[in-house]
Amino acid sequence: MAPLAAVRWRTALAATVLGIGLAHAQDGSNEQDKANLTLSGDAALLKKLEQMEQRIRTLERQLKKRDTRPGEGAHGQAATSAVPPEDEKPAKDRKNAGNSTLPKQSGDQIEPVAAAKPDWATPAPRDLSSKTAPVNAPNSIMGLTDSPVTGMSIGAYGEMAFGPQQNPAANGQWQNGFDAHRLVLLPTYLITPNIIFNAEIEFEHAGAGFDADDKLHGTAEIEQLWIDFKIIDQFNWRAPGIDLIPIGYINEHHEPTGFYSVKRPELYNGLIPSTWKAPATSIYGRLADGLYYTLQASSSLEDFGGDFATRTEANTVPSFPAGFPPGIDGLTALAFARPVRGDFQQLSNDIAAAAQLTYSPPVLPGFNGSVSAYYTPNTTPRGSYADTGILLGRSSLTMFDAEFRYRVPNTGFEARGEYVFITFGNPANLRANNDSDPANNVGKTMYGYSGELAYHLPLGNILSSDWEMVPFYRYTFQNLQTGGFAGTDLNLPTGAGQTQFHDVGIAVFPSPQVVLKATWQKVINHDPTGARSDSLLGGVGFFF
Amino acid sequence: MTDWVRLTLPTIVAASIASPAHAVIYLSVDAAQKLAFPAANRFVENGGLTWKAQAGDKLLGLFVVDHVIGKHLYIDYAVALDSTGRVIRVDILQYRESYGGEVREPGWLAQFVGKTSASPLKVGGDIRNISGATLSSLHVTEGVKRILATYGSRAR
Repeated sequence: MAPLAAVRWRTALAATVLGIGLAHAQDGSNEQDKANLTLSGDAALLKKLEQMEQRIRTLERQLKKRDTRPGEGAHGQAATSAVPPEDEKPAKDRKNAGNSTLPKQSGDQIEPVAAAKPDWATPAPRDLSSKTAPVNAPNSIMGLTDSPVTGMSIGAYGEMAFGPQQNPAANGQWQNGFDAHRLVLLPTYLITPNIIFNAEIEFEHAGAGFDADDKLHGTAEIEQLWIDFKIIDQFNWRAPGIDLIPIGYINEHHEPTGFYSVKRPELYNGLIPSTWKAPATSIYGRLADGLYYTLQASSSLEDFGGDFATRTEANTVPSFPAGFPPGIDGLTALAFARPVRGDFQQLSNDIAAAAQLTYSPPVLPGFNGSVSAYYTPNTTPRGSYADTGILLGRSSLTMFDAEFRYRVPNTGFEARGEYVFITFGNPANLRANNDSDPANNVGKTMYGYSGELAYHLPLGNILSSDWEMVPFYRYTFQNLQTGGFAGTDLNLPTGAGQTQFHDVGIAVFPSPQVVLKATWQKVINHDPTGARSDSLLGGVGFFF
Repeated sequence: MTDWVRLTLPTIVAASIASPAHAVIYLSVDAAQKLAFPAANRFVENGGLTWKAQAGDKLLGLFVVDHVIGKHLYIDYAVALDSTGRVIRVDILQYRESYGGEVREPGWLAQFVGKTSASPLKVGGDIRNISGATLSSLHVTEGVKRILATYGSRAR
């Protein structure tokens, strides 16, 4: 039993005794008022107090006995036990997320200093073969305070951007702006040591509102929602829920502290439609030193980019001849093709499969990489048609991604690289090739690649933390309109589908959990009018 | 329609059969002690989750078990110090989260070997950051640093 619990018990007992004592005292004073107080009454009171003391001693002995009972309770299923776990930590010891419970003295002996012993410093049961931390880890609410629910924690990440950027819809006019892009809350609950609940609740662009004075046009959405069954190291199961597609690195690790530009890396803004989440279930685990796998089944991408409300009650695209925007096109790639997550309004029965291998080879410290693939047998939504009236048949989609991140050990150098390739089974059935818009057509494939160099420069200790500055440069090329066009549209791409991005900037990390960014981005495409999408943005991001 | 059933049923069955009654444990305390001090023939409890590793009466070092919070949940780890307070070995005993398990990799943990309470122990400095396990690598490093601050200064 942890001292906290013991103290709680003792306090409760003392309070009870005190309460009874006070009640008696009050009785006494009442009697005094009546001038009826006798010696025999006092004696009775004393006797009662003695009995109480006796009772307290008995209870304390019982408590002590339980304290020293080896093993039991410490590592059991405390979640279902009414007895507080033996190794539950006093609140002050677990105040800071990420902190261990070690005493913070620096004695010059190998033994810890006896004074101010933390609770774990009392001899622990020898049998520790199962667990050492509390079963239901007490955790923090955003690192600020203890969680009222044992085993639950809430983390958060978010990012904001501001500054001038060119607006292509205004002929490339430079416009100043601000975006509270996202605030994401991350509740986690350790239901049992093997069953873990996880969710991401996201507010984008400062949230959603409906009235004119709200001035909001964002979202409040569930970005992740799943329960993990941790089985063995090599095999774990994520129950059906909303999960991220395991493609590349940034889709799953999209916290702003994981990349250096203000905007997410370009390959993740279309080719990989991050944050790409879907109804999904997966298995994952560890295959060998530094080698991990994930296999996932998910709701398929859909080639429907229209407003959600325009889906029919029959779960089809809007009836002919209303027309509808494509989900996959030669200008925005897959950005509008993400699957539906709610209300049984999926537009196809198709299930996609994804597989990923991530590796950190022991022979090359500092190197991390992954290869991943995604395949869906069909992206064509129910009832899809060309503007000519013909119905569109099925078209599969296969995606392949390979990426690496290499931080050269003992230096500040870091390099990252990535390649994404998408091929369409039957592009003639893609809506973009049949929507009367000759400029957004899609060929047989799409691809993109990027290379990035960064240097980590320590800035020293400022405001009691070690700051780091990371200047970086990234080059990205993507071609969303390759050859092999097929469909009923005329084919007159403007060249806007072939784009190069130059990103130069600085990311300053006041702590690994906070980042201040500045990025200049130059966008070049083959459109005669130009991309007109340059930007010079500042950003603030955090993750804890 | 039946795709979901087809896809998830085998994993449910597998999960039910394979599911042990405990969390995924990578190393027991006993196993970690033996890995750290193969020459020791006894581990004398030293208060809390610390043990003196001894070969007969000779003190080989100290074995400390502690936990830190990774991204959300606890990571149990063990640090073995030699009698001069230098790190001999660090092991992850238990990792509970779905992401960031790379802190378990021997190559990453090997970086702590030889560290003393005078070492900087800074992620991004003398300890590599693990992309994808930023918070876990940060917190384990802080944990080892704290253990060194507490127990590791005997030699000086």
